[in-house]
Amino acid sequence: MADVLAEGYNVFDTGKSPSGTVKYLESPADVISLIQSGKLAEHILLVQGGTTTFLAPALSMGAIGVITMSGAPESHLGILSREFQTPCVMTAYLTSSDSRYVVGNTDPSHFDEIAKALDGRNVRLDCTDHEVGRVVAND
Amino acid sequence: MSATVSDKTDYDVLNVVALKKMATAQVVAAACGVAQADVEATFDRLAAQGLVVVAGGAALPTDGAEPALATAAGVRYAAVREDAEIGGLVDRFETVNSQFLTTMSSWQQIDVGGRKVANDHSDSEYDDKVIARLDKLIARLGPLLEALAGHDARFGTYPARFAAAVDRIDRGEHEYVSSPTLDSVHNVWFEFHEDLLRTLGRERTE
Repeated sequence: MADVLAEGYNVFDTGKSPSGTVKYLESPADVISLIQSGKLAEHILLVQGGTTTFLAPALSMGAIGVITMSGAPESHLGILSREFQTPCVMTAYLTSSDSRYVVGNTDPSHFDEIAKALDGRNVRLDCTDHEVGRVVAND
Repeated sequence: MSATVSDKTDYDVLNVVALKKMATAQVVAAACGVAQADVEATFDRLAAQGLVVVAGGAALPTDGAEPALATAAGVRYAAVREDAEIGGLVDRFETVNSQFLTTMSSWQQIDVGGRKVANDHSDSEYDDKVIARLDKLIARLGPLLEALAGHDARFGTYPARFAAAVDRIDRGEHEYVSSPTLDSVHNVWFEFHEDLLRTLGRERTE
């Protein structure tokens, strides 16, 4: 069975199972560079916040999949991902770690650990479960 | 040295670009009431300051845009931040906003036996109820929008945009509820929320 690297809320059930290299986006500049590179469709996008509003251009330009480290499926980004039908796993945590996101009380090391573990990995999003979205290793 | 946006037109244009994340001069002109030619000239000025990047006719905010707007808003909206009436209305907005997000999700997904499935919009009675709820939530923004417009007339564009979207919905164009590529109720609401937070110098709490 394929290795499940991370799990989180599945924003919507979909048979789409996008694969790509995880790219951690920290700022609007990262999003602009990625769009300008023409390689948007090669990446699963990883961002820290469910309220990360700078991701909107990437979604409208054809992002194939999104992973967030916080936020709920009812958030703005969740609503957008359903509108664009972009598979999205929110508040993802590493299956190999006990660290979990807690609203208003999460140490930055939690996000660093996830970004370090996932950035650059070739993964596939499994969003077929009605509750849990999974980040599965391809490499 | 960090760039500044002390000029009102520069602020209004950069604010809309930052809210929309990517916007043509035509779209910005419609959202902030500045003439299109003036928006284009403003894009050039903002690009020279490193606050936007213009690509394919659309302006995108750079990493410098938000800090520049935050600094300018601190000065421009000092009186708004001290207005007790607005403070009270904003506190109530947070509750309305949560209800709005839930309502928007219920437009996209319905609950079937505890499981969320995509709303295929075949149940017009259900859809009508959601739309009626959205109408009420928009109406509850009225006093806050009015109070803000008393400080800066540009906030008066929001009621007009909501009214235009609702009018379309009432005519059967239901994509104006939540489409991210139209001036839908969700887009206008989201932009207003972001604008409000910047105006007040607050962060999102979600």
